[in-house]
Amino acid sequence: MKEERISQKTGGFLRAAKKVRWKHYVNYIVIAVLLIVFSTSSLTGGMRSSSQYLLEKIAISMILAVSLSMLVGFLGELSLGHAGFMCVGAYLGGKTAAILSASLGNGFLTFLIALLAGGISAAICGIIVGLPALRLKGDYLAIVTLAFGEIAKSIFMNSSNETFGGALGLETPRYDRKSLFILAFLLVLLTLAVIQNMIRSRHGRAITAIRDSEIAARATGINVTRYKLIVFAMSAFFAGIAGVLYSYSNQTLQSSKFGFNYSIEILVMVVLGGMGSINGSLIAATLITYLNVKLATILTGNLAILQNLIYATVLILIVIFSNAPALSGFREKYAPMNLWRRKRTAKVDPALRRDDAKSWSRIPTKIKMDELLSIDTRPEEHRAVRLEGDKPERRD
Amino acid sequence: MELITTLINGLSLGGIYAMIALGYTMVYGIAKMLNFAHGDIIMVGGYTILVFLNLTGSPILATCFAIAFCVMLGVLVEKLAYKPLRGSSPLAVLITAIGVSYLLQSLAQILFGSASKMVNVGYLDSLSFGGITVQGYTVFTLACSIVVMICLTLFIKCTRLGKAMLAVSEDRGAAQLMGVNVNRIITITFVIGSALAALAGLCTLMKAPTISSTFGSMPGIKAFTAAVIGGIGSIPGAMLGGILLGVVESICNRVSSIAPYTDAIEFGILIVILLIRPTGFLGKKRREKV
Amino acid sequence: MKKGKKLVSLICVLAMLVTLLAACHKSDAGYAAQNTEFVIGMSGPLTGGAAIYGTAAQNSAQMAVDEINAAGGIDGMKFKLVTVDDKHDASNIATNYATLYEGGMQVSLGTVTSAPGLEFKTYAHDDNVFFLTPSASNNDITEFENGYQMCFADGNQGAVAADYVNGAYAGQTIGIFYKSDDSYSIGIYEQFTANLDPSIQTVVTSFNDATAKDFSVQIDTLKTCPLIFMPIYYEPASLFMTQGVGIISQDAVYYGCDGLDGIDSTEGFDINAIPQEISMLSHFNSKATDGPAAEFVAKYVEKYGADTLNQFGASAYDCIYAIYSAMQEAYQADQKSIYVTMSASDLCDILKDKFQNGFQFSGVTGDSITWDANGFVNKSATKYIIKEAQ
Repeated sequence: MKEERISQKTGGFLRAAKKVRWKHYVNYIVIAVLLIVFSTSSLTGGMRSSSQYLLEKIAISMILAVSLSMLVGFLGELSLGHAGFMCVGAYLGGKTAAILSASLGNGFLTFLIALLAGGISAAICGIIVGLPALRLKGDYLAIVTLAFGEIAKSIFMNSSNETFGGALGLETPRYDRKSLFILAFLLVLLTLAVIQNMIRSRHGRAITAIRDSEIAARATGINVTRYKLIVFAMSAFFAGIAGVLYSYSNQTLQSSKFGFNYSIEILVMVVLGGMGSINGSLIAATLITYLNVKLATILTGNLAILQNLIYATVLILIVIFSNAPALSGFREKYAPMNLWRRKRTAKVDPALRRDDAKSWSRIPTKIKMDELLSIDTRPEEHRAVRLEGDKPERRD
Repeated sequence: MELITTLINGLSLGGIYAMIALGYTMVYGIAKMLNFAHGDIIMVGGYTILVFLNLTGSPILATCFAIAFCVMLGVLVEKLAYKPLRGSSPLAVLITAIGVSYLLQSLAQILFGSASKMVNVGYLDSLSFGGITVQGYTVFTLACSIVVMICLTLFIKCTRLGKAMLAVSEDRGAAQLMGVNVNRIITITFVIGSALAALAGLCTLMKAPTISSTFGSMPGIKAFTAAVIGGIGSIPGAMLGGILLGVVESICNRVSSIAPYTDAIEFGILIVILLIRPTGFLGKKRREKV
Repeated sequence: MKKGKKLVSLICVLAMLVTLLAACHKSDAGYAAQNTEFVIGMSGPLTGGAAIYGTAAQNSAQMAVDEINAAGGIDGMKFKLVTVDDKHDASNIATNYATLYEGGMQVSLGTVTSAPGLEFKTYAHDDNVFFLTPSASNNDITEFENGYQMCFADGNQGAVAADYVNGAYAGQTIGIFYKSDDSYSIGIYEQFTANLDPSIQTVVTSFNDATAKDFSVQIDTLKTCPLIFMPIYYEPASLFMTQGVGIISQDAVYYGCDGLDGIDSTEGFDINAIPQEISMLSHFNSKATDGPAAEFVAKYVEKYGADTLNQFGASAYDCIYAIYSAMQEAYQADQKSIYVTMSASDLCDILKDKFQNGFQFSGVTGDSITWDANGFVNKSATKYIIKEAQ
């Protein structure tokens, strides 16, 4: 109502602007603004190279976290081998770049072709790993992905010196370090655009339906096989792209990096970010990468030994604080947002508050039937009447 | 001849994997969590053996202390890190387990330094049968793992506590309604798992008497693989998976052309087995209900 | 993610970005302009599986820096060592190097291990920073003119090792035991076999990180060889020897390169329980009874204990002293040329000039050490017999 009144007064542009669901685009906008700030700073020569390297790392983590988030958070399949896909992308993309840079030069075209080569080869691996996913459940699938990651690592590790460099590592071309992080963040935007649109589309709803109940999804006519393979392929594709970026940010590629521990680190980003929350994954990827880099560079010499101790303690405390059922009351009570909101809405009878379906910023994780039924769809002026019994009692 | 030696080597390695996998499988079956810190309990066990061996000089006493210490540590970790998360997402527990694993490794490096240390847990005489020499530790490891497996099976089948464990692993809610103290059962599971980890630490040290802070991570992952091959949650399955993995590893190591690919081959076998039998050799098939 | 947590994490991210922007500001005067002492940078594995090598190098280098400072430095100008952890992972080098360089690093010890070193050399070359690596022994580390090695390059070591074997074992079958996922081991192994006399047959076995616990298979393969060449580090080697007691022929000779050094001080490893002869080709003898090596060992053991004593440390100790004495020489020649706030590039040019033009250094790992035009070290490698056969 209020909205309409304003737009009548101020005309078409504002009306159009109001219609845009800003919440849907907030992550693009934030990243784009930061990118502009940082790239002007970098291109005018005012940025330290350590900050550029850090931003590159953050961008790579973001792509990895968002792509894994699609697999774990939305499709609901646990993957412990995401670094394996990255490994395939990094090696094949890096090799392509190394071959092409001899003839095409180490420019943007080579970079694009390498990206495609790395992404597509990783996607093919994704489909191959996705096939068992049709037959396996939960932790059994998790170990297949873990096995895939270790196999990929081992194959590249033992390759001959001529093909993939073996234990000495594959030499890959390096992109201009001043602008690599800009390309990396553009790729983050691309990843977001593709994955977020996918998740918000009909296909995305099908994918979350599979996560919530595969049998029910199948019963409603969703092609579970196709969707699972698509998600595996897409997730692997973007991991492969992150791999190519990684190969560009390093002179030599060593497959020992892409082990179980790295897969776990990506998973930590997704879990800390919140399952099924892309923005959460972005934030967690930034914070964890930043924490790791800072721990390594601040704790030098004899203090280096404390890095893992601090990282592990922080990890355990955050997970327990944000997930422990016993602390849920505490979390609700002292969450800053809630404190603020309580002040604002103190007088409103909680029974009258309704979730507005339009304000859902993301696909609801589990749609509870009684919540869905309790949404009052009548026009607002009729809504003041309190409905009795629209919220059934909790029966746990 | 050569084949037999290789097989025997594989059996002793398999025995170690089996013992670790038993711990994995128990914890998974009952607490429904992947305890990635299990491998690091082995490491703690190894270091405890080292410390008490230096103090007392007796390997048997040191092992007893190590088992006691690991049990205490296991219970402590369960109470502090896993119990608060009971009822929340299994992934959250997985991440804390990883955190605990990093924490233990890092503490070990701080306390014992980064140099790996030799631990001489004593030497068992080797036996020979018609020209084939079997190392003492092979016999010990195999005997240990078989005894442990039999004891565990009997414990689960024949005691009230074991049946309660079975009930908790079948349906935690129903077991609770039947008066089973679920928290206590889970603690007991961790007690058993940690004790087995300490024992596995001893066996590993007998075979390869050197220890560092990453002592348990690779055996931990391998044993997890073994537990899955056998069917996670199944006790004989863990034994079977462990032995199979040990023998495969030993054979692969023997053939020098494929030796570098040992890991890849082991994990490849895992994938093939899971494709044929999606819940491992002896795992229970669960039909999904709506 | 709940609203509250989201807010908190957003605040964290914003705080981070602000620090990032604040840290962005690049000083034009060069990063070393604020230095109050010479900053020596090093990157090495201080945590993880390879931590022992980095720790040894860090301890010894720190010891050398402390000694130099206690003696007054270069005419009162002191030194400071900054070691950053790279976890033996080349992908950490970019950040580590940038941190060191922006922290005012003027001269460097490069990296402790080879794989990260291959990454390090490019960055150091871009900024023209002089580095003298204690133990990154890959042949390509010294590709550019600003990189030097204190240890033998892998290739040279393999070739020298083969020379020793060629005479004594012509026509026989020797065993080789190497680590298939370690560039040090592969580098020596390849050069060793390439330089081996054609009449010598080889039985080759290998292991990798994942199979480094149980060597029964390899031992069984190598049990009859008269000589087992093991271009590996002492930790797996001691394990191999322990497991091989009673299986490997009593007259066999274990023969390794500088990686074997430290085997006799491995805690809990009783070298006298090994019946075979153990010898190695190395630049450092931790059993030395006199000379600078013995002094170094005594000081190190007193300060840090024997369990991290190895050639990595000895080499790092020498690196610091070599850089110090080259700088000292330059300072004596021209007092204005060396000052605390000088840029890394200026110092690099001076040191390059020294190292290319007959600078000689005597230290723990050798006498009259010089460097050739490729940056490789010239010093004598001696075959040490760590333990005689029983």
